[in-house]
Amino acid sequence: MTISVGIPRALLFHEFGELWQGFFTNLGVPVNVSAATTKTVLDRGTSLAVDESCLPLKLYLGHAESLLACSSHLFVPRIACYHRGYFLCAKFAGLPDIVRNTFGLGADRLIAPDVDGRRTLSGISAVRTAAAAAGRSTFAGLASLRRALAVWRARPRAAETADAKLAVIGHSYILNDPFLGGEVLALLAARGVATVTPDDIPARLLYDEARVFAPEIYWQLSAKLAGAASYFARRSDIAGLVMVSCFGCGPDSLMNEFLEERVLKGCGKPYAVLCFDEHTGRAGVATRVEAFWDLVEWRRRQ
Amino acid sequence: MKVTYPHMGYMNAPIRFMLESLAIEVAEAPPISKRTVELGTLHSPEGVCLPYKINMGNFLEGLERGADTIVTMCGAGKCRLGFYGAVQRTGLAKGREVAFCSLDTERLLPDLYRFLRYAAPAAGRLAVAGGIALAVKKLRALDAINDAKNYFGPRADDPQRIIDICEYGAGEIALAENFAEVNYSRDLIAGVMSSCRRADAPPPPRVALVGEFYVLMEPYANRWIENALVRQGVEVKKFVRAGGWAYAKTLLQTFGLFNEEREYLEQARPYFNHHVGGDGLKSVGTSLWSARQGCDGIIHAFPFGCLPEIVAQYALKNIVADYGLPLLTLSIDEHASDVGIATRLEAFVDCIKRKKNVT
Repeated sequence: MTISVGIPRALLFHEFGELWQGFFTNLGVPVNVSAATTKTVLDRGTSLAVDESCLPLKLYLGHAESLLACSSHLFVPRIACYHRGYFLCAKFAGLPDIVRNTFGLGADRLIAPDVDGRRTLSGISAVRTAAAAAGRSTFAGLASLRRALAVWRARPRAAETADAKLAVIGHSYILNDPFLGGEVLALLAARGVATVTPDDIPARLLYDEARVFAPEIYWQLSAKLAGAASYFARRSDIAGLVMVSCFGCGPDSLMNEFLEERVLKGCGKPYAVLCFDEHTGRAGVATRVEAFWDLVEWRRRQ
Repeated sequence: MKVTYPHMGYMNAPIRFMLESLAIEVAEAPPISKRTVELGTLHSPEGVCLPYKINMGNFLEGLERGADTIVTMCGAGKCRLGFYGAVQRTGLAKGREVAFCSLDTERLLPDLYRFLRYAAPAAGRLAVAGGIALAVKKLRALDAINDAKNYFGPRADDPQRIIDICEYGAGEIALAENFAEVNYSRDLIAGVMSSCRRADAPPPPRVALVGEFYVLMEPYANRWIENALVRQGVEVKKFVRAGGWAYAKTLLQTFGLFNEEREYLEQARPYFNHHVGGDGLKSVGTSLWSARQGCDGIIHAFPFGCLPEIVAQYALKNIVADYGLPLLTLSIDEHASDVGIATRLEAFVDCIKRKKNVT
């Protein structure tokens, strides 16, 4: 049987996708990445998922389903925690189990390495699991991870240019998905508004910024957003902040309130919170984004 | 200093007794009511889960009764509970002076001990330790009579009497002065319940009640489903116990004898292979255990939007399909109505009773 690995274009793919692709390509395993999100993917995901799941998880299941026919294996890493002291939310810790239970897949069709930063050797054992599933040795796995990491770390970042910008803050899997937060970015770009997102800033800087909130914030992705909010709130070239989240996101339901009280209300800049769900219509988003930009413009003229 | 704390099932009475016996002034919030929930919802973020909103209502009603210090529990787990305190503190600090003490569930015994020493400087070390031990003892006795109610209720002629005895007994245990009195009341009440049992009663249908800790512990949140099931002649098997939890979290954990994760992980395989925070893993583990033990149905109750329980639901769907069991999923938020839940519960009980008679 020829092996090919399918990677759903959702959740942490938007953060580590290039690294994962590089790893399997270096191992000589063909990789299929699902196509960009469409309404069909969302509809399939919504009908597959448990009703109350958050929107990104529904999208993930839609993407995973589209790969089942063309891939021998699905790559679904279990990332419970990768920086010491921080956790990821429940869906990341349970992702392989969610996928297995939803599609009734056998363990042999999933490549599901456990990534747990609390254990020292977790990285090596994760590589071993992934390489063994693809029929390669651990040594080959480590070598290809090393090369993939070097390429991934050297990836270019977007240069910041304009002097007045909107900061759009949200999880990378929301902002980088053209169907969700990507829509907000596209709307702003169409109006000629320069934007900056947490992904444009080196993660280390954001985590350093988030240290003031430790140990209260223990979700890793939320810590990054909190760091981004306080960093952007301080910068003089940022004219306003837009928080983008999804209905059903547990961490965001508290984080948005927390950041409003601790950062946004005191920073003197206009801010807006946008929340997406599977019923989001384009017109509603466009109206809110345009109204917000008008407000920012008006403030700047004053 | 006047202390208030959130309600959770039968936990408040032993806690109040413990605080008052150490001469700490208590301003307990009134029992949870519609007003509590509305007040809490008004002062909470919209998308947060129900326990947060009810806690918030309890705090505000406690403050109305003159409290100036709030004690609550927060777990540095992976679910939202760990972050409750940080946001509640900010919400409550608006326009008033209030001290907010949050006990970390991962260090429950040292945190509780330190708080009591601070709140009751006059009390000796031994009195504080004794107070904690008695409170835990009482909670475990309350667990025991609640379990007895769930067992003997469906086997008695009049289940309502068993429920009444249980409630009366809970009041007795809460006011007991020492270990011997607790033991005496517990055994007496369990004995009375046992004597109401019908000798020729056929084994009643059994239902496993699994899900999130707070919703299972607080009858207001779960709309008294436990008693409703007992009244309909169904034996309820519940795996969440306040006293057992407090005992494990204070004594056992302090001495490193308790590893919840490992225990439930073994039970939950092959449907679930990792801890997902909160009670998600436990819900899956105990459901699978109950299914293998031959129970007749599973009820899964959790607050709307509870992250770990949603992940658990993916596995529960397959467990009930594989073992041929009915599953009732109750996702509860501040809009849950008695009638809606009662209707679903009755239909579910009809379903399991018919299924049991046919096979």
